[in-house]
Amino acid sequence: MSGGIARGRLAEERKAWRKNHPHGFVAKPETMADGTVNLMIWHCTIPGKQGTDWEGGYFPLTLHFSEDYPSKPPKCKFPQGFFHPNVYPSGTVCLSILNEDSGWRPAITVKQILVGIQDLLDQPNPADPAQTDGYHLFIQDPAEYKRRVRLQAKQYPPIV
Amino acid sequence: MAAGAGADEEELEPLFDYSRVQPTMAFSFDDTDIEKSDIFVPCNNKRRKVADGDTNADEKGDKGEQKAAAGAKAATVVDLGEEDWLPPPPPPKAKSNVTDELEQSSVLKELRLQKQALAKFAESADDFLEKLAQTARQKVEARIPTEHIDLDKSPEQQEAREKVVVTVQDKAGQHQFRLYKGEKFGKLFRAYAKKVNLSLADLTFVFDGDKVDPENTPEDLGLEDEDMVEVLRKTL
Repeated sequence: MSGGIARGRLAEERKAWRKNHPHGFVAKPETMADGTVNLMIWHCTIPGKQGTDWEGGYFPLTLHFSEDYPSKPPKCKFPQGFFHPNVYPSGTVCLSILNEDSGWRPAITVKQILVGIQDLLDQPNPADPAQTDGYHLFIQDPAEYKRRVRLQAKQYPPIV
Repeated sequence: MAAGAGADEEELEPLFDYSRVQPTMAFSFDDTDIEKSDIFVPCNNKRRKVADGDTNADEKGDKGEQKAAAGAKAATVVDLGEEDWLPPPPPPKAKSNVTDELEQSSVLKELRLQKQALAKFAESADDFLEKLAQTARQKVEARIPTEHIDLDKSPEQQEAREKVVVTVQDKAGQHQFRLYKGEKFGKLFRAYAKKVNLSLADLTFVFDGDKVDPENTPEDLGLEDEDMVEVLRKTL
């Protein structure tokens, strides 16, 4: 019945999101080909923060919830090869609040997750690198890092 | 009594240049009404005779107004007495009259500005009230349909008449609009564009990451009450 808990919570999260969410963000459960909704996978969009090199980018993120949610955090994935020091080559985001053993709490909402990841974009954590490319440039070549970030923002333009 | 005492001291008065003291006082506004009132008719007449085109009149009016507080009739008497003293005004008076005029006009300007500001304020208050009324109506109407369900012949008809509140969010904040579930979004878009004073062509409306077609209705998109639609402003 743990799945019931996860789905119940996710239905609530979705309801709250529809009524109110931060500007530019998208978060919606996956819709199957037959029109049914799969609450366990959410397709989201995180806008790059204004005034940062990430501005103008609308980055796709997928949340994978398990039946143990909200005891366990969802797995959050950018597209494969996403450029960021704290994103694994697979696209999985490495962030303390998303770590079951460190910062995750069941009370953390989808909204908080997405805003947290938006913050992480412009404030990488060099103590916790997840990819070599992004990490090395961030540490050794800030100018090139900046260029790569801006380039990536252009690769994810707004949908409209 | 106070005015009578003032009359006694009148001999010394000319030494005291009122115009130096009074310009900063804000009494000049709206004294026209008072001047027109019965109380000041005599002194106004007199003034016109004595000081033709002398804008000092207004100033007198002020003085009169002040004294009127003590005793209206006495004030007019005092004014007349002063009038006799003042016709050969001390030379600096002319100057001060000019500054008076200037200051009065600046005061008038300020008043006009204040009036405009107040008008704007009243307008925004109206808007606010309208919004309040709207939300109140929304609340009332949100209740009514549930009562009407039994009365309506078919549930389908009922659904078509049902309204939803749509929250439109832009960078600056949120606006709420109410439309029928079967009503096209175009109407809402136009209303929003008008509200924010922007051209519709520059705006894109997005629900759940998808662009909303003005031909669609809330029903088409499965919109629920108070769902949020976002507005993106096209940049260049």
